[in-house]
Amino acid sequence: MTMPGFRVIRPSSVDEAVRVLADNGPEAMVIAGGTDVVPNLQMRLFAPRVLVDIKGIGELRGITCNDRVGLRMGALTTLTEIAEWKFVERCFPVLGSAVRSVAGPLQRNMGTIGGNLCLETRCLWYNQSEFWRQSLGGCLKKQGDVCHVAPGGQRCWAVWSGDSAPALLTVEAELEIAGPGGRRRIPLAEFYRNDGMNRIALGRGELVVAVHVPVSSAFRRGVYRKLRVRDSIDYPLAGVAVAMKVDGQGICRAARVALAAVNPAPQLVHAAAERLEGKRYSAELVEEIAHEAIRTAKPLTTSASTPVYRRDMVRLFTRRALEELWQTRRGNGEKRAG
Amino acid sequence: MTKELIRLKVNGETHELAIAPNKLLLDVLREDLGLTGSKRGCDDSSCGCCTVLIDGMPMLSCVALATSYQDAEITTVEGLARDGELDPVQEAFMSWGGAQCGFCTPGFLMTTHALLEKNPDPTLDQVREALASNICRCTGYTQIYESVLAAAQKIREKRKNEIAISK
Repeated sequence: MTMPGFRVIRPSSVDEAVRVLADNGPEAMVIAGGTDVVPNLQMRLFAPRVLVDIKGIGELRGITCNDRVGLRMGALTTLTEIAEWKFVERCFPVLGSAVRSVAGPLQRNMGTIGGNLCLETRCLWYNQSEFWRQSLGGCLKKQGDVCHVAPGGQRCWAVWSGDSAPALLTVEAELEIAGPGGRRRIPLAEFYRNDGMNRIALGRGELVVAVHVPVSSAFRRGVYRKLRVRDSIDYPLAGVAVAMKVDGQGICRAARVALAAVNPAPQLVHAAAERLEGKRYSAELVEEIAHEAIRTAKPLTTSASTPVYRRDMVRLFTRRALEELWQTRRGNGEKRAG
Repeated sequence: MTKELIRLKVNGETHELAIAPNKLLLDVLREDLGLTGSKRGCDDSSCGCCTVLIDGMPMLSCVALATSYQDAEITTVEGLARDGELDPVQEAFMSWGGAQCGFCTPGFLMTTHALLEKNPDPTLDQVREALASNICRCTGYTQIYESVLAAAQKIREKRKNEIAISK
């Protein structure tokens, strides 16, 4: 496939990037690692006039972490850098588990955390060449007026296919966003709109600058389980992230469960937090939460596996993750957090 | 589209090139510099045939805009051999049948080279993990993994000898 034509602007500061993005509005697109944007450009899913290459902005790089402000990852931090960060397993095991599952090592060397959190939603009917799409008259999301997943509906169901977002939801991450009006910070959960066509809450001229994780959610045990056809490279067909804190008596002190690739947004299973807190392990309780997870999941025919199978795997993964975290010392938050 | 004048450092040599801003690094290497070792396989960052080293880190040149890597040291498979002598990784792939049709081989060589620079004594699991982004349709991977482990051993022996000589 070939690339469409565009101009490339390479700002050297966040202020400059914001100015360029604000000036060009919907005509501009941000590129960092390129692993998501470039194939989509080649498929003509986007037609930006200006590509804003932010890789030269030093301020967007690097990980800092201390016990006062918690973890801050610049948007350009690569997934490899996070996977290899020496404290990830000790402080935020769910994040390590999730980033290690993204695509393969070469994609992780290029792909950034900012990019992974702003990933384009995916659908079998959308992520295809222009020729392929046009033979069907396009779809709701692109060049058409019919959704092939839910014909008759006016909503796009393209799925959220990033792995790091559900993990970061389970540790209550926040996003730092720069825009023409200055900087703002929002909970990651408010960033996602659960709309396949309009997936994230970024206004004109806005740029994700960093991800913050509060100290209060450090040392939770955690794991991310991912369904895919191959054990490498593939996007998730379903994903379950679980983070929990268990005290010395085996009582759950905090727990979050979040899902990927079964909705247009990464989604917290809201019932999990309240129903698990203060409880001891029981098989019935775990099954109940697994059931809540499949009530949150709305898998449709957007992906290379059936909705029924993906829903079953959400239930299985949730149950196994909770069993594993509750009954073993994996994630080893125990010793430090007490 | 107006071309842009860029500077690229490839295999130790700096080139000044006038290229379209939407040109991918893989195409600049193949078309403008004649370095056709790096291959276009999948065209969407999922096969690893286009792997080159960017500042020592293996990356996919089919999703990299050439203009973005002007300050980087780029190494392609053509830059692996030094002074007419093959890299130990290349030799091992030859001796252990790590290449059949050869299309994916440059990508495997680059990823392997980077792995062994970082870890000259990898376990089989570490090799499998490091090569998980590279796809081969011929070998079934077994010979590739054997080649990588053989290359690792060769590199360790070579280093041991160098240390012995310098003592």
